[in-house]
Amino acid sequence: MNASSATAIAASVREGRTTATDSVQQALQRIAATDGQVNAFTSVLAERAQKRAQWVDAHPRRERMKLAGVPFAVKNLFDIAALPTLAGSKIERDSAPAARDAVLVRRLEVEGAVLVGALNMDEYAYGFSTENTHYGATRNPHDLTRISGGSSGGSAAAVAAGQVPITLGSDTNGSIRVPASLCGTFGLKPTFGRLPRTGSYPFSASLDHLGPFARSVADLALAYDLMQGPDTQDPACAQRDIEPASPLLERGAAGLRVAVLGGWFREMALAEALAAVDAVAQGLGTTRLVELPEVARARAAAFIVTAGEGGALHLEDLKKRANDFDPMTRDRFLANALVPAAWVVQAQRVRHWFARRVARVFETLDVLIAPATPCTAPLIGTEWLEINGQRLPSRASMGLLTQPISCIGLPVVSVPLWGMNPTAPQLPIGVQLIAAPWREDHCLRVAAALEAMGLCSAPVAPLAAGA
Amino acid sequence: MDHSAYIDAAAATLGLSLTQEQRKGVALYFGLAASMAVLVQGLPLTPADESGNVFVPVAPRVDE
Repeated sequence: MNASSATAIAASVREGRTTATDSVQQALQRIAATDGQVNAFTSVLAERAQKRAQWVDAHPRRERMKLAGVPFAVKNLFDIAALPTLAGSKIERDSAPAARDAVLVRRLEVEGAVLVGALNMDEYAYGFSTENTHYGATRNPHDLTRISGGSSGGSAAAVAAGQVPITLGSDTNGSIRVPASLCGTFGLKPTFGRLPRTGSYPFSASLDHLGPFARSVADLALAYDLMQGPDTQDPACAQRDIEPASPLLERGAAGLRVAVLGGWFREMALAEALAAVDAVAQGLGTTRLVELPEVARARAAAFIVTAGEGGALHLEDLKKRANDFDPMTRDRFLANALVPAAWVVQAQRVRHWFARRVARVFETLDVLIAPATPCTAPLIGTEWLEINGQRLPSRASMGLLTQPISCIGLPVVSVPLWGMNPTAPQLPIGVQLIAAPWREDHCLRVAAALEAMGLCSAPVAPLAAGA
Repeated sequence: MDHSAYIDAAAATLGLSLTQEQRKGVALYFGLAASMAVLVQGLPLTPADESGNVFVPVAPRVDE
């Protein structure tokens, strides 16, 4: 069962071949057997999950529930009723318990999915490694000596470890795509404003996105489809009708115009990342290469907007209890609180300028290909990397290739490839499939085509049970 | 560029008291932000490139 897809589990529960109660029990057993190694979960909600599974099993609509009995888990910045929303912090342990579940949790549960726990992350989503001082590092299930990526590291690791088939995370600068790349799962960062963030702890409201992780494109698209729809409580959420992508997957990449991103996206990538992109391009039969203008400035704009909004958000706690922040984030938040308004306003202007220029590229192309991370997962504790002849801080560099894209809110699927790093062939690396705003269907269709070709896949990591 | 005078003044204005230990990291990360700001400020823009970030008025809930 730990390698079963959400789609397969739901079909079994709908048809009465198994029960939601059994499905959830197996997930809880897998978590108990493996999480001592991985450290993906910060809370396991066994009692709540068992009750909800019984509700699904007894529900008269069970045979029509699209996620009947599917266990899932969420990054611990999603509200879970009766629990404080930690957002990876120690400080939020003191906050009031959430009154109700986040909107996206409710949307999945109404379709029969069962929440089994909350997942580890970088404090307040500020990081790309999930080396959280308060809750411990989440280790990469495919090599326990390496980082899982972040900030949604627990979300990627839980899927890679076969603990649950679907998780949710957030992505402000790459926090879905980076851990998906390093842990070898599929991950979707939808268009900015597509999925409501109501009931989630913010990082930088101008840039925050929520989205799913899964081990198959069909599961990824299904979870995404079921979470769509407007919500007036999130002012950034677009008032758009639901546009299901799942029915379109079978079209594959046919008719889609695809190109590889050059310039920054090749210069800031190591050999394994370039090999993964080239394999995808070859599989899709494209030799087109395009460059986006001023990518370094776009990345800088994302950095500054994040700094300004994140610093302001935490100002009161920084004044009163700075030393309760994770040492990994504290001095960065303090510095960010000092960022002048003129920088932030200019960064927003640059962001809009860049979005208009990139929109022109999508007049003649449908999907752009780029690495999701510059390299495969570094060892836990790695401080520096050499990229493009520069010695760069390892953790921040994991987002070099994702930040310019989330800066302008484009939808992206990260797909995992294997064997691209000859010195560590067991490690995956992700490739970003980037589409125009609101065309999640395009990147999901290309992802489905690559999966069907056998070029990308998300196998469960071979962890020793109970170790 | 040395940002220490700005850091001291801005921190005092905001009511942030920085310890010696914190100050070293703050200087490092503020310097990083400043290097990003150079890139952001270096793009020539016109008034027509004003940010499209728009406030959305909130209508009162109407009881059905």
